Amino acid sequence: MDGHSMTLVTVVCEALARTPLLELLRQLGIHGYTLFPVEGAGSKGDRPADIEEFGNIQVEIIVPEETARLLTERLAAEFLPRFAAIVYSTEVRVLRPEKFRPHQS
Amino acid sequence: MEFWESVRLNLASPPILFFALGLLSVLLRTDLRLPEPIYVGLSTYLLLAIGFKGGVALAEAGLREVWLPGLAAMALGTVIPLWCYAVLRLGLRLPAVDAAAIGAHYGSVSAVTFVTAVQYLRDLGVPFEGYASAFLAVMESPAIVVGVLLGRWATRHGGLTGREWRRLAHEALLGRSVFLLVGSLLAGVLCGRRGLEMTEGFFVTPFQGLLTLFLFEMGMVAARRLGDLRKVGPALAVFGVVMPVAHAVLGLWVGHWTGLSPGGAFLMGVLAASASYIAAPAAMRLALPEANPTLYLTASLAVTFPFNVTLGLPLYAQMVRWFLGGF
Repeated sequence: MDGHSMTLVTVVCEALARTPLLELLRQLGIHGYTLFPVEGAGSKGDRPADIEEFGNIQVEIIVPEETARLLTERLAAEFLPRFAAIVYSTEVRVLRPEKFRPHQS
Repeated sequence: MEFWESVRLNLASPPILFFALGLLSVLLRTDLRLPEPIYVGLSTYLLLAIGFKGGVALAEAGLREVWLPGLAAMALGTVIPLWCYAVLRLGLRLPAVDAAAIGAHYGSVSAVTFVTAVQYLRDLGVPFEGYASAFLAVMESPAIVVGVLLGRWATRHGGLTGREWRRLAHEALLGRSVFLLVGSLLAGVLCGRRGLEMTEGFFVTPFQGLLTLFLFEMGMVAARRLGDLRKVGPALAVFGVVMPVAHAVLGLWVGHWTGLSPGGAFLMGVLAASASYIAAPAAMRLALPEANPTLYLTASLAVTFPFNVTLGLPLYAQMVRWFLGGF
């Protein structure tokens, strides 16, 4: 496929971490993301998602590589010590790259 | 009535039997699962219904009758976290931040426990103050604030910044349950008896059935966390049973002293005995993220909640009979 190279950062975390995570994105000028409820199991066992507040969410963020690096650094320093979460990133190709560039903050 | 007779009456009531069925369905690993929106829908319904009915009763009773026990309920919510903290620190040797977070849960309240208690009184035919759901509304927040302050103070993070205060106040005062309860209380006050007659087919008649369905779901929710009991250890499980009983004794005396009937004093006891498992965990995750959620959730949801709705309610009713001679 044609397109422009971007980095997809995926955060799977407890639903209660939603506000702090979105706040962090806002601070970095990242304006786009996709969020959906998920369930599964992790290194510390099952994560039942029977009550909305105890559930888990997956947040996908597509940004240029340098923004992705900044984001994962901040996540590692401020987010992962506090919340149950995993973070991974992968290269993707997108159409219309201007939609994924962060606003200047 | 004999104590065992009232235990039997509670255990053989539809909500509790279905609660047990929910527990069993998880323990036996059936493939039964209710979709998550059912939980949200039912809890919204229950809060709206008890808030609305409480508001109608509040309009009829007038504030003069309600303010003193209401204030006492808030005071109870404020002080319970303090001695819970002391017991957990000194007795169980838990880290300060965990002790503070657990204290917040036990000072705050569980709406479902309260609703089940109201239904239990109806079964027994015991009269009570219909506006007691106003106490439920004011008892949720104070303990959350006290718990967070205790935790912050104990971990030497110092006080809260203005921004953190605003966030905590928003979390504690505008959580989903407080908002729904206070809003529907106000709606009930404004509508009065006429509003209740208009909505009777929705808020009153199906209430027992929907509560039963909700407790069925709660049985599953609680059972999924039973496995975590191994992680929290027996001492916290004992805490989860002993503290509610002590709080119930305190609550029913406070209710009695502030002029409530034996039925109302029983409900105040139940509120003091109950532990939050929605509002408090959500607030703790944001304001005291260092606290271990397995400890407070397991204690409140897998120990205290099942204990209160099964054996706790008849026990507290028996205590009212012993101490206050009522029912």
